[in-house]
Amino acid sequence: MGLPDAPGDLSSEVDVDAFRRLFPLRFYERHLTESIRPDGRPLGRARDTTIALGAVASAEGSALAKIGSTTMLAAIKMEVMTPSMDSPDEGCIAIDFHMPPICSPIVRPGRPAEIAPVVSKQLSDTYFKALTSYMCCCSSGMINLKELSLVSGKAAWMAYLDIYCLDADGALFDAALLSAVAAFSHLQIPAVSLNDDGKIVVVSEENGGKLEKDAVNKERMKLTLKSIPFSLTCVLHKNYILADPTAEEESIMETVVTVVLDSSSQLVSLYKPGGPVLAYTSAIQDCVALTRQRMKELQKILDEANSGMEVD
Amino acid sequence: MAGKPGTTPTTYSPSPTTQKTRRPIFNENDVDWVRPDGRGFHQCRPAFFRTGAVNAASGSAYAEFGNTKVIVSVFGPRESKKAMMYSDIGRLNCSVSYTTFATPVRGQGSEHKDFSSMLHKSLEGAIILETFPKTTVDVFALVLESGGSDLPVVISCASLALADAGILMHDLVASVSLSCLGKNLVIDPILEEESYQDGALLITCMPSRYEVTQLTVTGEWSTPKINEGMQLCLDACSKLAKIMRSCLKEATSTSQE
Repeated sequence: MGLPDAPGDLSSEVDVDAFRRLFPLRFYERHLTESIRPDGRPLGRARDTTIALGAVASAEGSALAKIGSTTMLAAIKMEVMTPSMDSPDEGCIAIDFHMPPICSPIVRPGRPAEIAPVVSKQLSDTYFKALTSYMCCCSSGMINLKELSLVSGKAAWMAYLDIYCLDADGALFDAALLSAVAAFSHLQIPAVSLNDDGKIVVVSEENGGKLEKDAVNKERMKLTLKSIPFSLTCVLHKNYILADPTAEEESIMETVVTVVLDSSSQLVSLYKPGGPVLAYTSAIQDCVALTRQRMKELQKILDEANSGMEVD
Repeated sequence: MAGKPGTTPTTYSPSPTTQKTRRPIFNENDVDWVRPDGRGFHQCRPAFFRTGAVNAASGSAYAEFGNTKVIVSVFGPRESKKAMMYSDIGRLNCSVSYTTFATPVRGQGSEHKDFSSMLHKSLEGAIILETFPKTTVDVFALVLESGGSDLPVVISCASLALADAGILMHDLVASVSLSCLGKNLVIDPILEEESYQDGALLITCMPSRYEVTQLTVTGEWSTPKINEGMQLCLDACSKLAKIMRSCLKEATSTSQE
């Protein structure tokens, strides 16, 4: 931020900024007629996306996903449980989504009630519930819970997946799902064995030899991910479809559509929580088409992140 | 719950829990042991700082000391809560939380309830509260991964985030802690060392003014040991402040380009 040389420059700059704050909708509509967005993206393009695997050393699997400045950190911790009678040889996945107060000026600690009136629908509790339950559906389709079994009827893995939003700038669901999927692809299930008390313990290098007779998993293993879900959120405004909205865009144009497709382009879920724009089927089809494109990009980014890990 | 909705079975971590007895390497009389990460007794972990980690905040910083990873966001100065009384000077509101996966055993981070008030006490003396009357500055910290010496890292990171947010301060606040293990003083202890310590000492100070904002001593100490420990921490703090200052300078020089 150097000092402006000409005072004329400064005044025009302030005018644009003031206009943006006072008439945000008109500001955006002017851009939309030119088929461009204020951050220089065409309407259908998502922001730059990166994935970093293994960000948390204390968890068995973790990933940091960034879409633009929206940042999500997902980590999986594996614990042992007794499986239920109905499904004695299945493990379990518990998913939690957290919005700590660091991520956004509208979230304040210990006062969840105050969030609701201030923030638009997207951040309210129902959104979180929807988000968590969607994520569960996605991941249960992706993961074979039988792979999480250790000793039938006695012990199975419980995978605690916790997703933290570190920076909220729109398209939270997309970033959360991407970080969750990446964390599962990074997850390494530790080698464990059954000790004399009937408890499962991790096989460490020191005492690995003597416990070998009761080994349950001989070596560290990875889960096989059947079909990986990827999502894209779009904002609808009049006839325009804006892919991967920022927080500002989400707050000005309130109708969002989230499409989740799996890696074989099958529709996993479609979410349009009301909103002032009533979408035609054609608009929904356009959203699905955009998601299909985006899925290929995301698949590539995820593959690159995973192959980068193998080299190390 | 993806498997069985409605039921939350009890779970346990398969990793062996830390033994209550001290490992032989921390022997009281032996002066020759090496620290688990191979550092010298008076050697800190390499510190990494980066400002501007969270775009949504007015100022933010990320700090990484070995496995200790912390992110701090600063919001404001902004409107105080409606219930607050009128105040001529600004208010400081601090909160420290842990992610569920920060600690070796899941969900242990909620044990550190006192950290928020400790953070508040170490920062309030450094901030010039008169510059933002009637309003509140919120300092929120999230420990992403706990690797020992969490509180000092949070405090140093928070002062950097405040500087990034442009909040006026007398000086940067740097903080270093130290563990007493038998006859030895080890600076910037990791989680394992903290669990075996006989005593702990934490100093937060403003190195340029040579002023201490908070000093906490717990456990068994002799007076000469306290003096020695304080001197070690103060030296480390002034070195840490240099690293923090260079991080701030780097951030402003890159944004000017």
